Amino acid sequence: MNPITNGSLGLGVLKMKADPRDVNTGVYYIDGDVAAGQGALAAGCKFIGGYPITPSTEAAEAFARIAPQAGAMFIQMEDELASIAAVVGASWAGVKSMTITSGPGFSLMMESIGFGAMLETPFVLLNIQRAGPSTGVPTKTGQADMMQSRWGSHGDYEIIVISPDSPQEMFDYTIKAFNLAERYRCPVMVMADECVGHMTEKVAIPPADEIEVEPRRFYDGKINEYLPFRPGEDLVPRMAKAGDGHKLYITGLIHDERGYPIKNEEYKSTYTKRLVDKIRLNKEKIIELIEEETDDAEVVVVSYGISSRVAVKGIEKAREKGIKVGSLRLITVWPFPDAKIAELAKTVKAFVVPEINYGQIVFEVERCSYGEANVVLVPHGGGGVHNPDDMFDAIEYASKEKKRIEGTIEYKTRLEKSVFEEGGKLQE
Amino acid sequence: MNPIITGFAKGIERFGIEPSRVCVASDIPFEPEVVSHLGIDFFHTTRGRSIAFGTGLKLANPTLRVVLFVGDLMTLGGNHFVHAGRRNMELLVICVNNFVYGKIGGQPTPSTPITFSPYATFEEPFNVPHLANSCGAVYTARWTALHTDELTISMTEALGKQGFSVIEVLSPGPNYYKGIKEIESNLIDFYFENSVIKNGEDPRNVGISPEGKIVVGKFTDKERPTFIDSYNTQLTKVLGDKFIPYGGKNG
Repeated sequence: MNPITNGSLGLGVLKMKADPRDVNTGVYYIDGDVAAGQGALAAGCKFIGGYPITPSTEAAEAFARIAPQAGAMFIQMEDELASIAAVVGASWAGVKSMTITSGPGFSLMMESIGFGAMLETPFVLLNIQRAGPSTGVPTKTGQADMMQSRWGSHGDYEIIVISPDSPQEMFDYTIKAFNLAERYRCPVMVMADECVGHMTEKVAIPPADEIEVEPRRFYDGKINEYLPFRPGEDLVPRMAKAGDGHKLYITGLIHDERGYPIKNEEYKSTYTKRLVDKIRLNKEKIIELIEEETDDAEVVVVSYGISSRVAVKGIEKAREKGIKVGSLRLITVWPFPDAKIAELAKTVKAFVVPEINYGQIVFEVERCSYGEANVVLVPHGGGGVHNPDDMFDAIEYASKEKKRIEGTIEYKTRLEKSVFEEGGKLQE
Repeated sequence: MNPIITGFAKGIERFGIEPSRVCVASDIPFEPEVVSHLGIDFFHTTRGRSIAFGTGLKLANPTLRVVLFVGDLMTLGGNHFVHAGRRNMELLVICVNNFVYGKIGGQPTPSTPITFSPYATFEEPFNVPHLANSCGAVYTARWTALHTDELTISMTEALGKQGFSVIEVLSPGPNYYKGIKEIESNLIDFYFENSVIKNGEDPRNVGISPEGKIVVGKFTDKERPTFIDSYNTQLTKVLGDKFIPYGGKNG
C-alpha cells in the first residue's frame, strides 16, 4: 500500500481506496464481531495483538483466520497489557494495528491508552462491552464502559469513541475508526456491546473501490529534519516509522517537538493544550450523528449502540400516539456533541436517554442542556437490553412532566418495579 | 559514556548492522536515550512494557533488530519476559541489574539479594540467566559493567542470535548513588572484583548471594526456531499456497 502524500504538513486531503486484496466483497450473514474483523482488514489493518475475552473473541478469531492469507499478523499475547503495548509498538513500526477486548481486559489496557495518546499513536481498540463491574456477566451486554473509554487512563488527553449498533455498522465504523486514528494520530475506540457483537445480520461488504481508506500521513521531508511532534495547521503532527533513519526519540514523558523530555510547567501546559485541542478544535469534522424529526420535537431520545435500536420501537409507538418525538443517535460519543445538545435543549421539553448503566452519557446530556430541558435517564443494570415499552413510557412521561431543575430524572423501568417494588422476585 | 552503552555501540559496529535498522525500547528505570544519537530509534515505554512493545515493533517489521534495555523486568515485565522466551521472539534483552529501585529511593527489587529496606530483605532473589534459560532463551550471559571486553563480545554475539537473547549486566544504580562518587566507584569495583568468570556454567548454579562470588560468563548459546519461523512453518503446513509467508518485508 503506497501512501499518497501531498508534500505539505497540515490540511491536505489524503484519501485512497481500500486494497482489493483486503476486501472480501459480498453479502454475508455474519455477527458483529466477525464484521468488525472484516472491517479491520478492509481498512488495511496488518497487526492485531489480542487476548481472548468473552464476548469479543469472535472478532479476534475472524481476523486470525484471514490474517495469514492477507499478509497480516495476529498474535495472541500473554495478557491485555501486552496486547495493547504490542499494538502501539506495531503502529510505530508503520502498520495499522488494532486490539480487541471487553470489560476486564479494557481495564488492563488503560495504561497504554494514555501511552498511545501521549505518543500520538494511531491505533484502534474494539471493546465489545459486557456487564460489569469486575467479571460481571461475561456473556451478557452492558454499556457501562463509556466514561472509562473517555477518562480511563490517568492524565489529560482526548480520544475518539464510536458506537455502532448493527453488524453492518461494525464493519463500516471499524473502517471509519482506522481512518480517524490515522487522520488525528490518536487512539480510536469502537465501543460496541455484546448484543451488537453477537447479533447476526446481513452485512454487505462493498467492492474495494467504494471503501475510503485514510493512509498513514507519513512525513515526507528531509531525513534529518523530522520532528515527530511538530503539529501541522490542524494540530496533528506527521507520523514516521521505526527503521527509517529518523533517529526517533519517543517517550511517554512530556516532550518537545523533537520528542525530548521537557519538564517545565509552561511547556507542560502548551503540550497538553495541543493534545486536547487536536480533537476539540476538530470536533465538527469528527462528530457523526443521526438526527431524526427533531425540528418540532417536544422530546428527543438521545441514544447510542444497542440502546438506540431498542429505542426505535418506543419512538414509533410514541409517534403513533401523537407525541412529537425526535431522535438523536450518537455515532460519535466522544468527543461529545455538546453544541448539538445545547441547540436542541432550547427547543425541546425533555431529553430521554436510555443506556445500559445507571447514568453515564446522560450526565453529559444534562451538562450540555444547561437547565433548559428536563433530562430523563432510562437506566438498565446490564445483562440485557431495555424493554421497548419502557422506552415508550419514558417518552410519554417526559412529554408530560413539568420543567424541573434538580438534574437528571431517573425513570423507573418495569424490571426495577418488578424486582424492587413487588418484592420477592429478587430472592428467587 | 556509560560502559553498557559503549559495549552496545561497539557490538553494533562489530556485528556490522546499520544503526538505523536497530530499535531500542526501554522502560522506566534505565533510559539509554543516548542511543538516539547513535542513529538508533529509541522508544521509552511505560514501566515493564518494553518487551511487549518490542514484540509489536518486531512483528510489524521483522527486518528491524529490536533491542530492549529493561529495568522493571522481573516485576511489571515478568510475564512478558516469560512469554517472549517461550515464543522465542527475536528480541535482545539487556537487563541492567542494579539490585535496587534506584530512581525512587532504593526499595528492594526481585533481584535484591541483601538488605536495602529498613528491616532488610528476606525474599529470595531471581536468578536472571536461569529464569531466561528456563523460559527458552537461546542466549544468556551475565557480566558486570566493568567487564567491557566480554560485554562487547556478548553484545556482538547476541545481536546475531536468531531468537530470544538475554544479557544481564550488573551495574550500580547511578541515580541512587548520585553525588556519592566513592560509593558508586567502590560498588562497581566490588562487583567486578568479587566476580568469577565461568563460561558455560549451568544457569541453575549462577544465583547471586551475598556470601558467594558473583558468577559471570556466557551460560546459554543454542538454536531454536523463532516465533516467525514456527509461524511460517505451521501456516504453510495448514494453508499451503494460500499462505503469504511472513517476514522479510514490512507486512
